[in-house]
Amino acid sequence: MARIPIKSEVTGKVWKIEAAVGSTLAADDTIMLIESMKMEIPVPAPANCRLVEILFQEDEPVKEGDVLAIVER
Amino acid sequence: MTQEQGAAAKPPRPDLQAVLDARAATLDAARPEAVAKRRKTDRSTARENIAALLDTGSFLEYGQLARPARRDMTGAADGFVMGTGLVDGHRSAIAAYDYTVYAGTQSYINHAKTDRLLKIVRDLRLPFVLWAEGGGWRPHENNIALRDCEETFGLMAQLSGLVPTVGIVSGRCFAGNANMAGLCDTVIATRQAAMGVAGPALVEAGLGIKLTPEELGPPEVHERSGAIDVLVEDDREAVAMARRYLSYFRGPGAAGETPDVLALRDVIPENQRRAYDVRKVIDGIADVGSVLELRKGFAKAVVTALIKVGGRPVGVIGNQPMIRAGAMDTPACDKLSRFAQLCDAHDIPLLFLCDTPGLMVGPEAEETAMVRHSSRILTVLANATVPFMTVVLRKAYGLGYYMMGSLAMNPTLIVGWPTAEFGTMGTQGAVKLMRPAELDAAETDADRQAIEKRLSDEIRHRNSALEVAARFEWDDIIDPADTRSVVSRFLASLPPVAPRPGRKRVIDNW
Repeated sequence: MARIPIKSEVTGKVWKIEAAVGSTLAADDTIMLIESMKMEIPVPAPANCRLVEILFQEDEPVKEGDVLAIVER
Repeated sequence: MTQEQGAAAKPPRPDLQAVLDARAATLDAARPEAVAKRRKTDRSTARENIAALLDTGSFLEYGQLARPARRDMTGAADGFVMGTGLVDGHRSAIAAYDYTVYAGTQSYINHAKTDRLLKIVRDLRLPFVLWAEGGGWRPHENNIALRDCEETFGLMAQLSGLVPTVGIVSGRCFAGNANMAGLCDTVIATRQAAMGVAGPALVEAGLGIKLTPEELGPPEVHERSGAIDVLVEDDREAVAMARRYLSYFRGPGAAGETPDVLALRDVIPENQRRAYDVRKVIDGIADVGSVLELRKGFAKAVVTALIKVGGRPVGVIGNQPMIRAGAMDTPACDKLSRFAQLCDAHDIPLLFLCDTPGLMVGPEAEETAMVRHSSRILTVLANATVPFMTVVLRKAYGLGYYMMGSLAMNPTLIVGWPTAEFGTMGTQGAVKLMRPAELDAAETDADRQAIEKRLSDEIRHRNSALEVAARFEWDDIIDPADTRSVVSRFLASLPPVAPRPGRKRVIDNW
């Protein structure tokens, strides 16, 4: 089982967390939405995986490169 | 010669045997220590790489018997294996610095070899693949020549736009070797690459810091900075990538498999604020497996990729809404401009996928000379002659849209998706600037907001896809599922590329 860090590609604010820790995700399922430049940027699961950790809360600012969550596959 | 004659063949005469021995001595089979060194780090030898790329038996080697200029030095082919051959049946030139010969350094004789090959590349118009790994000039040969007269870097630079040039950086590539890579259209690096304009010795001398080659210039740095175009795992993948890349520079080829085109109807979310990955649009247009993205790790606000549609090469430039809402910053402007030059020089029609709120604004953007970098796109596109078409996916605002293949740039075809939305600027700002009197006349905040909303809606409706098409500002509004078919028909309308005596244009290195 590999732990894969999900890094933010954008700088903005965590707007909505869409998936629960422990849930099983399919590739492309939205883990959370980041608000950046008035757009909702989805953060997708990179592959079929399990969401094991979310490191940010809603409304928290994020920077490009921050690790948002950890998935396992 | 019959088998009987072969069986009875005399052994070669001494003069021929000497030649056969000299030739054999340069091959990997005669150099087990050199091969072993490469194996220690899971590397291929120069000759293995060349053999992997070229069609079997097609390699015509030049200078196999060349030796280092100093009598007290030895090195197979003076560390530079080169010649012409066929890649998938197509005439090409290849060269590889041999790292097992004095760390692939450049020398008096191998500069002469390079110069000769570059002139043949120029005169025969051959696509050129160069394995650039090596340590730059070979210090042992300082003062060996009466005068320093290699034309190598100038000759290499003069190939720009004339033939496709591919640099492969799969090991330590520094100084002169790095500049040879930097002069190629496209650089493919592997995870074992380390590259820089100067190696540890000069860095320590100049800056007083001690770094290994891998600390100085690892592939991740070059991927992020845009210095390299494609990052692959190892020597084998680099060969495969070079082979694949060259196939986009030969004009129409065999058609590939059709992708799922219906999926395109669902790529753009109905929620206008929701971003999507423009790569999904590209996947719904291109032959399956034909998307070759360049500079993926750099300037992510725009995606540049070579694709094939029905076997015909196309250069795609797409805004990436996932990054800064698709706003075009300085790196994106540069990435777009250079890719457009690459396709213009090599007659690859362009396809713009437009969804941008415009150029990146604000003081930080201005620190990057946005005025100049954004203008670069205009200079390239307005003066390019390769045909292009544009699909407006969603937002088409301001000068960003103007530059993303708008009608003013003279596309052969410009169409919109149902979600396409034209705008000279964001509607909120537009309303405030255009109707200040009407807004100021509002008595309450609620009234003011209601007026803003009405005016915004008017602007938005006027700039919606069908209204823009009614004004014939775009050639059509299409079903997203038809996009691939529209691209095919656009390609089918283009005239064949006329042969030309020289290059069309130079391609900027950056």
